[in-house]
Amino acid sequence: MNSSDAQEVRPVEVSYGKKIMRDVFSRLGAKLGLAWIAVIAFVAIFAPFLANSHPLLLSFNGEISSPALRFLTSGDVTILGVFICVVVLYFLRLSFAKNIAILTVVGGGIALLSAIFVSPPQLTVYEQYRVSEATASYDWVIRAPIPYSAKDYIREQGDTGLEAPLSDEQRIHLMGTEENGADVLSRMIHASRIALAIGFIATGIAMFIGVILGGLMGYFSGIIDMIGMRLVEIFEAVPTLFLLLIFVAFFDRSLYMMMVIIGVTSWPGYARYVRAEFLRLRQQEFVQAAIVCGLPLRSILFRHMLPNGMAPILVAASFGVASAILAEATLSFLGLGLVDEPSWGQMLNQSVQSSTFNWWMAAFPGGAIFLTVFAYNLIGESMRDAIDPHMKRKS
Amino acid sequence: MLLDVKNLKTYLDSGAEVVKAVDGISFNIKKGETFCLVGESGSGKSITALSIIQLISKEICHHPEGQIWFDYRHNDGTQEQVDMLNLTEPPRRDIRGARIAMIFQEPMTSLNPVYTIGDQIIEALQLHWPNLDYNSAKQRAIEALAQVQIPDPEQRVDEYPHRLSGGQRQRVMIAMAMVCEPDLLIADEPTTALDVTVQAEILRLMKELQERKGMGILFITHDFGVVAKMADKVAVMRNGIIVEAGSLQQVLKEPKDEYTKELLAALPENMIRARAEAGEDIKYRQDVSENKPILTVQNLKVHFPVKKGVWARTASYVKAVDGVDLTINEGEIVALVGESGCGKTTLGRALLRLIEPTSGAVFFSGTNIVPLKRREMQPFRTQMQMIFQDPMSSLNPRLNIATTLIEPMAVHGIGESQEARLDLARQMLIRVQLSESHLWRYPHEFSGGQRQRIGIARALVLNPKFIVCDEVTSALDVSVQSEILQMLLDLRTERQLSLLFITHDIGVVEYVSDRMVVMNEGKIVEQGLTHNICHAPQEAYTQKLLAAVPRLYG
Repeated sequence: MNSSDAQEVRPVEVSYGKKIMRDVFSRLGAKLGLAWIAVIAFVAIFAPFLANSHPLLLSFNGEISSPALRFLTSGDVTILGVFICVVVLYFLRLSFAKNIAILTVVGGGIALLSAIFVSPPQLTVYEQYRVSEATASYDWVIRAPIPYSAKDYIREQGDTGLEAPLSDEQRIHLMGTEENGADVLSRMIHASRIALAIGFIATGIAMFIGVILGGLMGYFSGIIDMIGMRLVEIFEAVPTLFLLLIFVAFFDRSLYMMMVIIGVTSWPGYARYVRAEFLRLRQQEFVQAAIVCGLPLRSILFRHMLPNGMAPILVAASFGVASAILAEATLSFLGLGLVDEPSWGQMLNQSVQSSTFNWWMAAFPGGAIFLTVFAYNLIGESMRDAIDPHMKRKS
Repeated sequence: MLLDVKNLKTYLDSGAEVVKAVDGISFNIKKGETFCLVGESGSGKSITALSIIQLISKEICHHPEGQIWFDYRHNDGTQEQVDMLNLTEPPRRDIRGARIAMIFQEPMTSLNPVYTIGDQIIEALQLHWPNLDYNSAKQRAIEALAQVQIPDPEQRVDEYPHRLSGGQRQRVMIAMAMVCEPDLLIADEPTTALDVTVQAEILRLMKELQERKGMGILFITHDFGVVAKMADKVAVMRNGIIVEAGSLQQVLKEPKDEYTKELLAALPENMIRARAEAGEDIKYRQDVSENKPILTVQNLKVHFPVKKGVWARTASYVKAVDGVDLTINEGEIVALVGESGCGKTTLGRALLRLIEPTSGAVFFSGTNIVPLKRREMQPFRTQMQMIFQDPMSSLNPRLNIATTLIEPMAVHGIGESQEARLDLARQMLIRVQLSESHLWRYPHEFSGGQRQRIGIARALVLNPKFIVCDEVTSALDVSVQSEILQMLLDLRTERQLSLLFITHDIGVVEYVSDRMVVMNEGKIVEQGLTHNICHAPQEAYTQKLLAAVPRLYG
């Protein structure tokens, strides 16, 4: 008995899902893609500490303070909180459903608390620290690697607009400045947040609707399937870009509205995938066995069918993230994006506004959009190969 | 000598490992002779065939040793001995199709659906005789179709594959293989996907054509009944090696090798004999006609609507099950036999309400379960279970075995705690001869036979009284099949189970069942004690079915 008891240490063998993921990320394309996304994610999460006009730490008459922390917005606090939560959960190794539940609760809690309690000063004077530093009124100062905020137009230095990278010897601008004089690299860093957020949240909304509707259509078929498919066809006929243009023209330019519109119009693709998968899985013998055993519908749908039909949806999702990023970039490029916040598409728009061609204004944001979309496509491609048994046999 | 294979080795390169699929085999085939290669799945018999015709991509295999000498008859009539392994690609292409033809297992996918069957035969003809004009090629195609006994070959030649049945498609495949008059025909499980009556016709046809044309046949199969019908010489393969070879009589009657003996002993036909000789027949054949009926089916119908037109109007019905009456007593094993498409699987599923019956009644222990709602059905779910055909798809690949076994118990409140249920699952795994350490593994780590045992365990954890076994052994090798059948028989006596055993294999029926029911086109043709029906079938259809079964002796 002892030997068999010892063997009962929980799964030594890897599950199918883990095998697929290992297979995906053993491919060079997926590795490169993931590496780029990881860089973007890191930059997006720690943006206020990477590019900020406010010093990270300073000592004034022996008193140590951190303007960067004081000027954090509630959004910044939420992002950091969720990030810490994800790291902790990764090391706890709980089940997937538990992870999602904890993350939702903690994320919501932090967002609520930070909205109530975090109140950065209303008035931000970016140059005050530079001026004070220049007059040597601080004991010492630690600045962010890029000591300019995204909306710091460096007014006290006179006209700093449209300087090529590294053209000024006193102020270092690795990617030059834009027409108003703000640091392009700083704006790029802060814009990465929008790119990531719109990709994930819009795709998340689309997947949520698509999986639920598609699943019901596939499982019940018949009349539900017929109504569902007509709904899919109607939503597929909605031109997303024009809808966005109309909404932007009539309502506020809000990032959240864009996410919702992209999400609500792009779910039919996922619904089709899930429906097809569920129609196939419905006939599989393990699903029939689950019905014969009298398992509840919830378990049949979400435990026995969904995990087995998830692979093609993840592939579609990674392409979906890429197209959501492109949609936002297109909108911003047309000058219909967010007014005040920097975004890659809006920076590209700026580059064509000027009468001269300033290459740094086009190359850097354009390159970032290209690389990010390309990275998601690479990951999607590798996933598709990994779940396709024919491709697997070849490799 | 038409074909002389000497010490052939075919190693498959799959990633870093090398799989020794064929590991040094030698045999030869004379003109007009049928050589059968028998073995269980994975023994390397198909790889041997593909090696001879050189159809495996060079990127995934290599031949460290061996020669395949083939007597190559050129178009001008001269003969030459060539080694298939050392030929360049152009002469190999000339040999393939023209001198060595091959037919495959799956007739449903081996014809191109976008060309007519005539075009496909003509293409093969014109490839090997470029001078042949279209009309005379078509004439030869029609002759070839007539040869394989396709009715109305003049009309049929212009039809697309989807209009033909499985058996007809296999005939077309044979016609296509024969049209260039090959010297050697390689048949890789040509009848495995076909019904027994069709199989009997195809086998007869192949023998006839062989006698007329005098070609050699390399026949690959796993079915000893087919071997007994076809072979002049037999070789038994295992793990890439021929363990025993000789004439048909030698191998079947006086096997020398241990493995051959085991294989033959595992055949249902021989298992029945062995049991009768040991006098155990009484123990397994039970007379249960006195027992109470556990399941009574009255005039059960399952009709599937065929929709047509824009408004999806119901134009007609496919009558899968069309008025079936059936009674199964407690502790009885009833076999439901029929050819593909006769509605036996639909009937089995309708009994468990996996498919909703159109009309009729199913009484289980006195209650009609057809009108019950989902919730009212729940108590019956523990008592009626099902074991499925395909061991590859019958287990959820994402769940480990423990979860698969425990979830149904938890839903029905069997076992007080998770620990108690784990304990039950453990006992059940041991009962089906698996080890308790298998609890934490995932389905893909098991072989087909092991998975089928897990499928049985899953059905048994709920303590059912009645189990539908849907072709439970048809995807398994014969040695594994005999173990599973034996286990089901033991479980029946142990737990007083009633089984409905759905199968197309008459040998299995004779071995396990007390009573048998023959079904055709949704209706029951004949039912009665297995022994009676097998020895004296009354209905014409049953007689035809039983006569078509290839048997080892007789």
